[in-house]
Amino acid sequence: MAVSKNKYAYAVGRVRVLETRLFDYGRLDRMLEAATAEESLKVLAESSYGNHFAEATGVHDFEIILSKEMAYVIAEFEKMSPQPEMVALMALNQDFHNLKVLFKCKYLGRQGEEPLLPPGMIPLKRLRSGVEEENFRDLPPVIRRAAENILMEFALSPDPQLIELHLDRALFEMKLAVAREGGSVFLVELFQREIDLLNINTFLRVKKMGRSKEFLQLALLPGGLLEEALFLNLLGEGLEGLIDRLANSPYGEIAAEGIRGWMEEGSAIRLEKLADDYITGYLRQRKSPPFGLEPLIGYLWGKQIEIKNIRLILVGKINGLPVEAIRERLRHVYL
Amino acid sequence: MTGSVLALLGVALAVVLPGIGSAFGVGLVGQSAAGVVTEDPDKFGQTLLLQALPGTQGIYGLLTGFIIMLQIGVIGGEMVPLTPEQGQAILMAALPIAIVGLLSAIYQGQAAAAGVGLIAKRPEELGKAIIYAVMVETYAVLALLASIMLIFGLQM
Repeated sequence: MAVSKNKYAYAVGRVRVLETRLFDYGRLDRMLEAATAEESLKVLAESSYGNHFAEATGVHDFEIILSKEMAYVIAEFEKMSPQPEMVALMALNQDFHNLKVLFKCKYLGRQGEEPLLPPGMIPLKRLRSGVEEENFRDLPPVIRRAAENILMEFALSPDPQLIELHLDRALFEMKLAVAREGGSVFLVELFQREIDLLNINTFLRVKKMGRSKEFLQLALLPGGLLEEALFLNLLGEGLEGLIDRLANSPYGEIAAEGIRGWMEEGSAIRLEKLADDYITGYLRQRKSPPFGLEPLIGYLWGKQIEIKNIRLILVGKINGLPVEAIRERLRHVYL
Repeated sequence: MTGSVLALLGVALAVVLPGIGSAFGVGLVGQSAAGVVTEDPDKFGQTLLLQALPGTQGIYGLLTGFIIMLQIGVIGGEMVPLTPEQGQAILMAALPIAIVGLLSAIYQGQAAAAGVGLIAKRPEELGKAIIYAVMVETYAVLALLASIMLIFGLQM
């Protein structure tokens, strides 16, 4: 159900202060210019991330610090938002990440390869018992359906990609459904853009793998602004065709630059950065209303981008990448 | 209905409607301000200033009601007997501040709450945040002026 925008007055007031504390380019630069990863971490310790340092023992534990900080922020936002479920949507991808890890553990025997993330909307215990007992009745219907599909198709061919594909579909299906139920046109439009940008990326990958139209159809996420037919029809053509077709869409510029980057470097790194920057810009334009969900979602996205940037810097520092190479990949800040 | 009852209805509307508007406006700014102060307690003084702004409509309404009460002798004397026409005229005189007071307080509250967001980020721009909210005040003052001129213009 939609709630009165005025109910957001308190939450937006808090967000206005929190926004000012997001990392600006200056602080990211200090992390970047630091001589070692340990020095970079010291910059992190001076900020709100410092609260979680007790739980980390060294540089390699930085993931713990980052995920604790995000979990803390989401929990605070859920407490102060009149529609906690809308805020939790921003952490739903963590639940689905966990679900993927649990599935891979059970069916592919990959134990502990990827760490579990703090839960978003669904308690981890329920996910774990659901997967272990193959009983998904306690989980949202979208997840139950995806899980049953995975089990069914897994019986025919145990392809790990099936887990990814079905759960990604279910994730966005659920995000759109909750946003619609909550009456937020803003969130629906945001997720549609996320879907489009992911679909462009998926198209490039599927094309490179040389898979069939049927596979592409399964891999594309439904519900975006760009029609699936657009991608399906272009599978047999050159990538220039896709650039032309997207020229008049909202993603014209980034698609052109991102796809050229893909053709030159053979990786989606450039496209992924541009896609993140697009969403950041989109949310930044919408953050000014004094009441409403927009500033909250914008801040949470900004925080996720900040964490992504910190991770890029720390991973780069630990692996001894040159400063410029790291800087190139950094996302625009939300400020 | 006698004239006096209509005049008292005018008093009631002049006090009640702007009062509701001011309560809503001050409450809204209070929520925004509480949000800001949760994260930054030093902003209390500045946000309080903004919170007070939508409160004036309630005062204007009470002032109008008070003047009507004086005019018709509810306070300080005996009640003047009023004809139904006189009563209706007083009721009409109360309407400008009653209606404009209600709505302008709500809108001023929204503008002031947005101003709270502004000073959360740029505390040095408090003056501008106040000016934006005060612009709304103009229309409450105009309505108050109209109501008072009407009341004094009526012959009891």
